[in-house]
Amino acid sequence: MKKTINFKYFLIGLGLTYFASSCVDLEEEVYSQITSDNFFKTDEEFISALGGAYSSLGGLGNHSGLWSINEIASDEIVVSHKGGDWFDGGVLLQLHQHEFQKDNPFLNNTWNFLFGGINTCNRLIYSFEQLNNANSPAYIAELRALRALYYYWALDAFGNVPIVTDFTSTEKPGNSTRKQVYDFVLKELNEIIPLLSTKRDGTTYGRMTRWSALTIRMKLYLNAEVYTGTPQWTLAATDASTIINSGPYTLNPSYQANFAINNAGSPENIFVYPYDKVFAGGFNWVQMTLHIVSQSTFNLTDQPWNGYQTVEEFYNSYVDPVKNPGTQGPVWKGLAMEQSTGTVDGRLTNFLVGPQKKADGSVLVDPGVEVTDPTGIKGDPNGPPLTFMPFLNEISPGGLRQAGARIAKYEFERGGTPNMSNDFVIFRLSDVILSLAEANFRLGKTTEALALVNQIRARAGGLQPFNTLTADNLLAERGREMYVEMTRRQDLIRFKKYGDAWWPFAGMNRPKKVHAPGSFLEIFPIPQPQILANTNLKQNPGYN
Amino acid sequence: MKKQGLLILCFFSLLAFSLSFSANAQQARITGKITDAGTGEGIPGASVLVKGTTRGTVSDLDGNYSIEASSTDVLVFSFIGYTTVEETVGNKTSINLSLSESIQGLNEVVVVGYGTQEKKEITSAVASIKAEDFNQGTVNDPRQLLQGKVAGLNISRPGGNPNGGFNIRLRGISSFGANAEPLIVIDGVIGASLSTVDPNDIETMDVLKDGSAAAIYGTRGSSGVILVTTKSGKKGKAVVEYSGTAATENVARTINVMTADEYRALPGSNDLGSETDWFDAVTKTGVSFVNNLSISGGNEGTSYRMSLNSRNVDGVGINSGFDQLNARLNLTQRALKDKALFTVTISNTTADREFGNDNSFRYAIITNPTLPIYDPNPQSPDFGGYSERDIFDWFNPVSIAEQNINDGRESRLLASIRGEYNFTNNFKAAVFYASQRETFWNGSYSPKTAKFGGGFGRKGLATIQNRESLNDLFEATFNYDKSVGKLDMAFLGGYSYQEFFNQGDFTQAGNFLTDAFTYNNIGAALDFANGLATVTSFANENKLVAFFGRANFNIDDTYLLSISSRYEGSTRFGENNKWGLFPAVSAGVNVANLVDIPKVDAMKVRASFGRTGTQPGESYISLLRYGRQGNFFYNGAFVPSFGPVSNNNPDLSWETKDEFNIGLDFVAFNNRLDGTIDYFTRVTSGMILPINVPVPPNLFPTTLLNIGEVENSGLEVLLNYKAIQKSDFKWSVGVNFSTLATNLRSLSAGDLSFGAVNYRSNFGSPGQNLTQLIRVQENGPLGQIWGPIQIGVDEKGAPIMKVIDGTAKDANGNPVYCNCDADRAQLGTAYPTINFGINNNFNYKNWDFNFFFRGSLGHSLINSYRGFYENTESTTVQNWNVVKTKYFDPNIKKAEYNSSHVEKADFMILDNATIGYNFNVKQGKSIGKIRTFLSVQTPFMFTGYTGVDPSVRYQDPENGDPLAPGIERRATYFTTTITTLGLNLSF
Repeated sequence: MKKTINFKYFLIGLGLTYFASSCVDLEEEVYSQITSDNFFKTDEEFISALGGAYSSLGGLGNHSGLWSINEIASDEIVVSHKGGDWFDGGVLLQLHQHEFQKDNPFLNNTWNFLFGGINTCNRLIYSFEQLNNANSPAYIAELRALRALYYYWALDAFGNVPIVTDFTSTEKPGNSTRKQVYDFVLKELNEIIPLLSTKRDGTTYGRMTRWSALTIRMKLYLNAEVYTGTPQWTLAATDASTIINSGPYTLNPSYQANFAINNAGSPENIFVYPYDKVFAGGFNWVQMTLHIVSQSTFNLTDQPWNGYQTVEEFYNSYVDPVKNPGTQGPVWKGLAMEQSTGTVDGRLTNFLVGPQKKADGSVLVDPGVEVTDPTGIKGDPNGPPLTFMPFLNEISPGGLRQAGARIAKYEFERGGTPNMSNDFVIFRLSDVILSLAEANFRLGKTTEALALVNQIRARAGGLQPFNTLTADNLLAERGREMYVEMTRRQDLIRFKKYGDAWWPFAGMNRPKKVHAPGSFLEIFPIPQPQILANTNLKQNPGYN
Repeated sequence: MKKQGLLILCFFSLLAFSLSFSANAQQARITGKITDAGTGEGIPGASVLVKGTTRGTVSDLDGNYSIEASSTDVLVFSFIGYTTVEETVGNKTSINLSLSESIQGLNEVVVVGYGTQEKKEITSAVASIKAEDFNQGTVNDPRQLLQGKVAGLNISRPGGNPNGGFNIRLRGISSFGANAEPLIVIDGVIGASLSTVDPNDIETMDVLKDGSAAAIYGTRGSSGVILVTTKSGKKGKAVVEYSGTAATENVARTINVMTADEYRALPGSNDLGSETDWFDAVTKTGVSFVNNLSISGGNEGTSYRMSLNSRNVDGVGINSGFDQLNARLNLTQRALKDKALFTVTISNTTADREFGNDNSFRYAIITNPTLPIYDPNPQSPDFGGYSERDIFDWFNPVSIAEQNINDGRESRLLASIRGEYNFTNNFKAAVFYASQRETFWNGSYSPKTAKFGGGFGRKGLATIQNRESLNDLFEATFNYDKSVGKLDMAFLGGYSYQEFFNQGDFTQAGNFLTDAFTYNNIGAALDFANGLATVTSFANENKLVAFFGRANFNIDDTYLLSISSRYEGSTRFGENNKWGLFPAVSAGVNVANLVDIPKVDAMKVRASFGRTGTQPGESYISLLRYGRQGNFFYNGAFVPSFGPVSNNNPDLSWETKDEFNIGLDFVAFNNRLDGTIDYFTRVTSGMILPINVPVPPNLFPTTLLNIGEVENSGLEVLLNYKAIQKSDFKWSVGVNFSTLATNLRSLSAGDLSFGAVNYRSNFGSPGQNLTQLIRVQENGPLGQIWGPIQIGVDEKGAPIMKVIDGTAKDANGNPVYCNCDADRAQLGTAYPTINFGINNNFNYKNWDFNFFFRGSLGHSLINSYRGFYENTESTTVQNWNVVKTKYFDPNIKKAEYNSSHVEKADFMILDNATIGYNFNVKQGKSIGKIRTFLSVQTPFMFTGYTGVDPSVRYQDPENGDPLAPGIERRATYFTTTITTLGLNLSF
C-alpha cells in the first residue's frame, strides 16, 4: 500500500514537472522566415547579406519614388491629368507645379528608400566589423561607398537629413545641416576611395568601385555651391579627369546601346543596377509611360498605364534647328498631324512619337479617344488611331490621352512583362565628360569645355558641333544627353532655372517666375510621417 | 509529430493527476411522484437527476419516477416552465413533491463560458437565441441565423455572393486588428470554424456581450464570444427528422445606369450599334436545394444524434455557387456506475465552390449599353468571340465570368472527446480534447482569350493554392459546488492549451500551348522554363496557454455574485509580456424577490466589470525577421538577398479592453412582457497597429505597436410582448435596438503618433488614387467620412469645391480650393447611430406566420459608382456607360470625389417572412409531424441610398482595413431576393 502511494506521488510529481516545463512554454518557432539567430553564418550568407544593401536600389525604376520626384519636378517629365485618369489626389500636379506638400506619399516613399538603404549599409557594416574575417575590410569599404551614394541622393533631395552611422544606436536622430551632410559624405569618400576595386569586369558589375565613388565625389563638387555656398569647380574637374583618363571606360559608339535590353556590356556605364525580368524585377517604365493600347505594339503581357509624358518644350530642344543645329529632316512636332522639318538628333530614339502600329504593322486604334462633341468640347486632333504627339494641351483636368512624347530611352522588349531587363544606368562616362566640360566652362576654360561638349554631340549623330558655348546651350545639351537619368532637377537648380515656369501650363494662373534661385523649394519637405515618427526631426525651412 | 506528442503528454499528465482521486458510496432505490403545485396532476416527462452526476431519469405519464441514489445524494427535479427543486435523499426511500410554474424564461438554461447557468442567475450581458427564434428561409451560414436578432450584434454581408462572408461586430469597434470578429466556441471548442456546423444542427447560440462574461476567454474575448451548441440526442425512442427546401434567388438591387437610348442621346456618345442589358447578361436565376436528415435517440447509458446535411446552392452570378455536404455525430455515453460521462462529437464538412467573379458586376455597371456581348466580326477570335475594347479599366463583364474558371474545395473535420468524472456529489473533473483540421484548395485559370484575369497577356494563366489549418485544443477543468444555508457556491477551475498551425503554397504560371489543361497541368506552362512562374509557400504556428477560474455565489436566488479570471499566455506576445491576467466581477439582485412591484413578475438589476484582450492577428510580429528581398548580382550571376521585414518589439502585448455594463432583466404583466436593457461603456487600449518609425535606428520603417485608446458606449434594449394569447390565435412581437457612440481617445504611443489628422483608404484607379476618404482623428468618433464640399460646377464641368481654409491663393490673390486637409469637411459617419430588429409571430390554428424587419439608421456610404461614373466627362462617355441616379447632373464632366458622392444609407429591410402550415397527424401513425412553409428573404427594402447595398461597411472591402469603414466599392455583388419552399417531417 505504501509503495503504491509513493509511486502515485512520483507519477504526480513527474506529471507536474513535465507540465511546468512544456505545457506553459511560449517560445515561438519560426518556419518560413529568418531570424537573426539562424542567419549570417556562411560565406554564401555573407554575400547574400551584402546583396541586401544593393537590392534596395531596385526601387529606382518604378513609379512614386526618388526617380519620380526628381523627374516630375523638372522640365523633362509631366504626368498630366487625363480626363478621369491620373489625378490621384493631385500629388503629381503638385510635384510638377512645385507646390510640394509634406504629406505627398512620393516623398515618404523616397525617404524610406534612401534611409532603408542607409540603414542596411549601417547594419551590414556593423555585422562585417563584428565578423572581422578576411573579406570584411573590402565589404565594409564597398558598403560605405554605397551609403555615401544614398546620402548624396538624400542631401540632394531633402538637404538637412540626419547622419547616422552607428547601427547599435537606438536614439532617434536629429537633422544635420546640408553642409554637414556634404562634409560627411566627402569625408567618407575620401577615406574609402583608395580602398575600392579599380576593376571593370564581371566581379564589379553592379557594384561600388573606385570609379563609382569618384563619380559621386565629382557630383558633390559639381553641386558644391548649391549644397554649401562654396563652389568647387577645380576639384570637380580633377575627379572628372581622373575618371576619364585613368578609368576603364570609353564612350559607346552607339548612344542607344547604353540602354538596350542587353546593355550589360556597354563600356560607358560606370554604375548600374542590374534589373532582370526574372531575377530582379521592378523596372516598369514600360507601364508608366506607354499608352494602354501600346500593349499591342509590343505584345506586352500587361496593360500599360498611359502616365509619364515628356514636356513639349523639352522635346523641342532636340528638333529645334537653331538651338540644336544639325541635319534637317522629317521629324514629328506639335500635333504630329504630319511630319515637318527639324533637326534629326540621333538621340530622338529617347522618345516614342508619331502614329503607332500594332506589332503586325496594322493601324492601332485608341477606342477611348476624346472626340469633339456637339457642345464643342475639343477632342483629340489625331482621332482614334493612336498617335503620340509632342503637343500637350493642358496639365489638368483635360489632358489629352495621346499627348506628349513617351519615354523610350530604354529599349522595350517585344512580349515583355512589366519587369524590364535593361540594367538601370546610375552613372555613365558621358555624364562625367559633360561635368568636366561644365567645370571647365565655369573656370573660364571655354575651349576645352567646347571640345568636350562637341565630343558628346558628335557621338549623338546627326548634329553639327557648337561654335560657342553658353550656359544655356550647355544646359540644353546636358538635357538632351541625360534625359530621364535623374540629373535634370539638379542641373536646373545649378543653372538657376529651376524656378522658371518652363511651359505655359505648369505656370497656369501663376506668375511667370515661380520661384527665385535659392528658394526653399530647391529641396523637398521632409515627409510628414517621418516628422511624426521622429520628434527629433525638424521640417525643412519654408514648409511648416 | 512533435506538436501532437506534446499535447498527448499534457493530456496524460493531467489525466494521471485526476485519476489519483477516487470515491465510493452505498446506493438505494428511491421512488415517488412529481405533481403540478397548481392542479395537483402528475407531470409526465419531468427530469430527475442525481446532482453532480449525469445519472438521471424522467417521470412516466402519471408523473411517477424511480432512481438509484445514496443517502448523501441530492436529487434535482426539473421540468420546462417549472421552478427546479432539490431534495437531499437522507434516509428516505420515497420522495413525492410538487413543482410550481416558473416565471417566464427565468429557468431557461443559458450557455456561458465553460458551463451553463439559469437565466435568473446570470449577472452579465448574455443573449441566448434558440433554434425557434432563428431567421428562416434558405440560410447557409450560421451567422445569418442571428442577423438582427441580438441587440448590439451587427452582422452584415453586402451583396448576395453565396461564397461571401459575413462581417460581425459586437458593440462597435473594440479592436483595429484582424480579430475584430467575435470568438466562436462550438460545443466547447474555442476558435472553431462556424463552417464546420450546418445551420440545421444548431440548438442555441449564446452571445457573451460584456467584458465580464467574455473574460473567461482572456486574450480572445474582446470582440465578444458566440457560443454555439449543437443539437444532441435525448433519451427515448429514435426520432427521424427530415427537412428539405427548394429556393430560387433573383437580383434585388443594382445601381441605375443609362439605357441605350439615354446613352446615345449624350453628347460624344459612342454608338456601337447594338443594345445590351448588361445586368441581365451577367446574372441568372439561382436555384438552391437544401436537404437535412437526422436520427436521434438514446437509452439509460447512451444518447446520440446523427445528421447529414446537403446544400446545393447556385448564385445569381455566372458560375457562382457551391455544393456542401456535412455529416455530424454527437454521442454521449455514461460509464463507471454513471459517474463518468463521455461525449464525442465529430463533424465533417466538404464544400466544392465556384467563385464566379465580382468584377463582372463592376464592369456590367459601366459597360457601354450599345456594345454587343459577342463580337459580330468573326475575323477577330482573339477574345473567344466576346467583344472587347482596348480601353483602360474595362473588360467584357460576361467574358470575365464565363471564360475565367475559379474553383475551390474545402474540407473541414472537427472532432472532440470529453471525459467527465464525478468524484463526489459536488466535485467533478473533466478533460477535453478537440482537433480541427481544415484544408483549402483553390484552382483558377484564365484562358488565352480572356482579357480579364491575365490570360490574354500571359497566354493562359493558371493558379493553384493550397492551405492547411490545424487547431488542437486540450483542456482540463474541475467543478466544485457547495451550499451553506441559503448560500450556494459554485467553483470552476481549469487549464487550457491550444496550438494552431498553418501552412500553404501558391503556384502561378502562364504561357500554355493550349487552354485544354486549365489548372490541371500547371507544369505545362512555359513560364517555368523562362523563370516567370511564381511559387511560394509558408508555415506558421502559435500557441495559447491559460489557467482560469470562476466562483459564483447565490443567496436564495436573490443576491448573486460572480468572480472570474483567466491568466493567459500567447506565443504571439513579445518576450517581455508573455502572460496577461483578465479578471471579471459581476453582481445582481433579483429585486422582485425583495419588494413587490405592481404588475412586475420578476426584475433583476445587475452590474459587471470585465477585462479582456485581443491577441495579435499574426504570429512572429514581435520578432526581428529577415525575408527574401530580390536578388543580388554577384560575380556575373544573381544570388538571393535577404533584408529585414519587421522590427523587434519585445514589449508587444495584447490589446486590453475594460468594460462596465449595467443591465436590467424583467418580466411583467403576467408573463406577457419580458425584456432586457443594457448600457455599456468599454475602453480598448494598446491597440495593435503598424506605425511609422524612423529608420535608423529601426531596421524596418513600420513597427506593430500597442497604440492608443478607443471608447465605445451604447444602449441595448430587447423587448418581447405576447399581444394575443388565445388557444387558436397567438400574436407575439419582439423588438430590439442598440445604439453606439465611439470616441478615439488617443492614437499615439509615447512620442509616436499618426498625427492629429490621419487619412485611411484611397478611392482608386482610374485617376483617383491617393484620394483620401476616411479621417482618423484623436478625440473624435471613428468612421468619419471626409472630403471636399461641392458647391457648384464650373464652365468646364469640374465640380467647384468649397474654400474653407482660404490660405491658398491664385495669381490674383483670390482664395482657391487647396486640395489639402484644410479644405475638407466631414461628410458623414460610417457607423449607424441605431440598429434595430422587429419580429412578429402569428399562430392561427394550424397556420403560423412570421415576419422580421431589421435596419440601421444614421450611417452614410461613399457611393464609389457615382464617384467614378456619374459624370459626362468625354472619356467616361466615350469609354463607358454613365451611372444615372436621382443625383445625376449632366453638367458634371469630371470625376472627382466630393460631398455629392456621400449618401445617407439609412435602411429598413424585410429580412424574412414565412408562412407555414402544420398538418394534423393522427396519433399512432408512424409520422409525427408534417410542416410545410413558404419563405421569402429580403424581398424589399426602404432606403434612399442609390448604390447597390446600404448595409453598413465595417471595413474597407478592398483591403479589410477596419479604420476605413463606410465605402461601397465598385465590385459589390448585387443583392438578391430568395424565395424558399420547404417541408419538415418527423417520424
